[in-house]
Amino acid sequence: MWSKKAAAVAGGALFLTLAGLIRLNYLFISAGMVMLTFVVLSSFLDVWMPNVKIRRETSSDNIFEDGDMNVRFIVKNRGLGIGFVEIYDQLPPQARITKGSNYTLLYMRPWQEVSFEYSLKLPLRGHYHLGPVKLRVKDAFDLFYNEKIEESLHSFSVFPQIEVLEEQVIKSRAPKLLSGAMPLNVIGAGTEFYSLREFVPGDSLRSVNWKALAKKGKMMVNETVREDVMDVILLVDAREVSAVGGGKDTPLEMSCRAAATYAKQLLDERNNVALMVYGETVERVDLDRGEHHLFKILTSLSSAKPQGNLKLEIVLKDTLPYIPSGSPIILFSSLDDDHTISEAFTNTISRGYTITTVSPSSLDFEERMKRIPAQPLLIARIERDNLISEIRSFGMQVGDWKSDEAVNTALQGG
Amino acid sequence: MEEIEVKKSRIPNIKDIVNYKDFFGEYPLIFLIKIISSLALIYVITEFYNYHNPVDSLITKYVKKSLPGFIPNSKIFVLWGFIAGFVLYIFTLFKGKYKFLILFLTIILVGQYISDPALDWKVGEYVIPSKVGEEGAEKWAWKPIKILYDDKEGSEKRIDDATIRASNLIFGSVPFLGGYGIWKRKGWAIAASVGLAIIIGFLYTPNSCLENFDSSYCGYETESKEKTWEEYLAGGVFIGLGLVIYIELSYAAIKYENYAEQFKPAGLDASLLTDAQKKGVSRTLMTLFVSYLINLGVMLIITFAVAEIVININDYLSQSDGRIQDSIELNGPYGIVFTSLIFFMILGFIRMFVGADYQTEKN
Repeated sequence: MWSKKAAAVAGGALFLTLAGLIRLNYLFISAGMVMLTFVVLSSFLDVWMPNVKIRRETSSDNIFEDGDMNVRFIVKNRGLGIGFVEIYDQLPPQARITKGSNYTLLYMRPWQEVSFEYSLKLPLRGHYHLGPVKLRVKDAFDLFYNEKIEESLHSFSVFPQIEVLEEQVIKSRAPKLLSGAMPLNVIGAGTEFYSLREFVPGDSLRSVNWKALAKKGKMMVNETVREDVMDVILLVDAREVSAVGGGKDTPLEMSCRAAATYAKQLLDERNNVALMVYGETVERVDLDRGEHHLFKILTSLSSAKPQGNLKLEIVLKDTLPYIPSGSPIILFSSLDDDHTISEAFTNTISRGYTITTVSPSSLDFEERMKRIPAQPLLIARIERDNLISEIRSFGMQVGDWKSDEAVNTALQGG
Repeated sequence: MEEIEVKKSRIPNIKDIVNYKDFFGEYPLIFLIKIISSLALIYVITEFYNYHNPVDSLITKYVKKSLPGFIPNSKIFVLWGFIAGFVLYIFTLFKGKYKFLILFLTIILVGQYISDPALDWKVGEYVIPSKVGEEGAEKWAWKPIKILYDDKEGSEKRIDDATIRASNLIFGSVPFLGGYGIWKRKGWAIAASVGLAIIIGFLYTPNSCLENFDSSYCGYETESKEKTWEEYLAGGVFIGLGLVIYIELSYAAIKYENYAEQFKPAGLDASLLTDAQKKGVSRTLMTLFVSYLINLGVMLIITFAVAEIVININDYLSQSDGRIQDSIELNGPYGIVFTSLIFFMILGFIRMFVGADYQTEKN
């Protein structure tokens, strides 16, 4: 292919030749011919295409949002070709390079292996890949070049950011056989104080509250909250409406961050966690626990895309039969554009489930984008407040989560 | 323990005044390329104006009407045009307030030079306010400096002289832009200098000066003997080669500086490189440049040989047997262009079957 320089030199040469013809200027004609000859002969230079093997070494297979990934790009010339090669490792459009460059120019010798490094940051969760790689080879004078695309891809996932939660957020009423760290609303063996009661034969002396004995003059023992493992269901709203806003500031992105944070804490406390993402369909990650399960949940959250408009009532109607009774459900939803919410809550609560709601407010994003006039926005806020109050009136916890707040505060005031 | 106050030196660091590193560059090789490229530019432009006498240009015809003192002399403007471009580059190296200071001083000096003959400075008796008058009736008096505007003609001469000198930049713009482009590494300036040379050459008509002005101005008595077309063709070949060398080397300076950037380890500034790393880059650059020069040298020789064949092919055809020699156009410029284009067409056809493009398709 012609480079800009070749086009300019050839254009200039042709102009010289034609101008020479018009002005009958032999000097122009011959100068133009020399330049044209130079360009034509240069096209015969060995514009080789390298036969290369490409591999990448990355600091980690997957990263969290805003995390750094160091990439070492290694290319080996497997042929006898020699010369300059421009290499451009294509990156996802969202990627930001923090160090080094994904572009380089190398002088390759036969069987030579060369490498370069760069670091990148991705602000948004999702599944991405590095590559394909564009190779460009030029002649010595940069007049002509050849391009080749090497389909060398390196896939990786960007998981939603996980925050450290300061306190436990949910309690269940359904004890399990295995003990864990999650407090239940029943008395049992644990570490969290529940109440005081009188000593009865058989109580351990270790549980006697000696201060209370001194105060009341009779033996009192501490009762603790039973700690147990739970089956927790994380329900993430990924309907089309959850994409209001832009970049990281959408209800879906916030929901994914919160779900990832909660999943991490719950799994760290040895609970069983399931994830359901609903939008067009319901994507499930079944109940399980452990590090490997967290990876599955994070991968599923990375895949969540805003699409479809499945209503909560339908989702719960379909999924409740498969959820162990009494298991807490945590719903991550902006609660927008769903007239079935009250009905869904009523049905679910009547069947003995608790639903804790973490609701990122999409109205903040709408306000920021100035798409809705002040009056309708005010009405929308009132409607949202009413809905939240209604859910709270069922005795369920709802966190009205503002966009600039941390996940830790999502359930505060609920 | 008393704190030792480190006083900041009042003399600014040279680095804060001028970016001298840009001039010398990080690698001597690139500096050398710039020098060779500058010499090639001066040679090619001088040679160009030897064939295109500026007084025979259409530009001179019109500029002289509004500027009677206009005498373009290639011996002056080629070198000074280049120096002006180089000085402009040096000026751009100065930083912030120093750049402004130099500009300000230049304006002051030029203003002083022009106004000096016209202004006569008369200093009064009491420049500093002092008490004058009889005792008891003394008063403060202050006689200012008087500036008399007398020798207007002297200033006008200087203005004319400065204008004529500056007007040399009309033809000197080619080396001016070239010089600036090479040293400042500006591709557009290099391209513009070549473009301007072509335009200036286009506006040249042999011996047109005598039609409009007298021989004392034109510098030749009678119409100079028109050079033969063989002479023009030979001159054109060298000018064409000179242009190729100038373009190639000036772009090479830019290219190798970019390469030097690329050869640095990722994320490292040149100042953070160790001596060994710098030497490594220098070695690589030297290897590349030597191979580039060999490539260029060989290509120029082949180009020269092929161009000679291409330009003279019509001559051979016109002397061959057959009806083709009866063609009147074949001996003229149209014949050269026509036969040359056929030659290039054949080369283009051959190119279709060789080289990487074809191999890639096959692969």
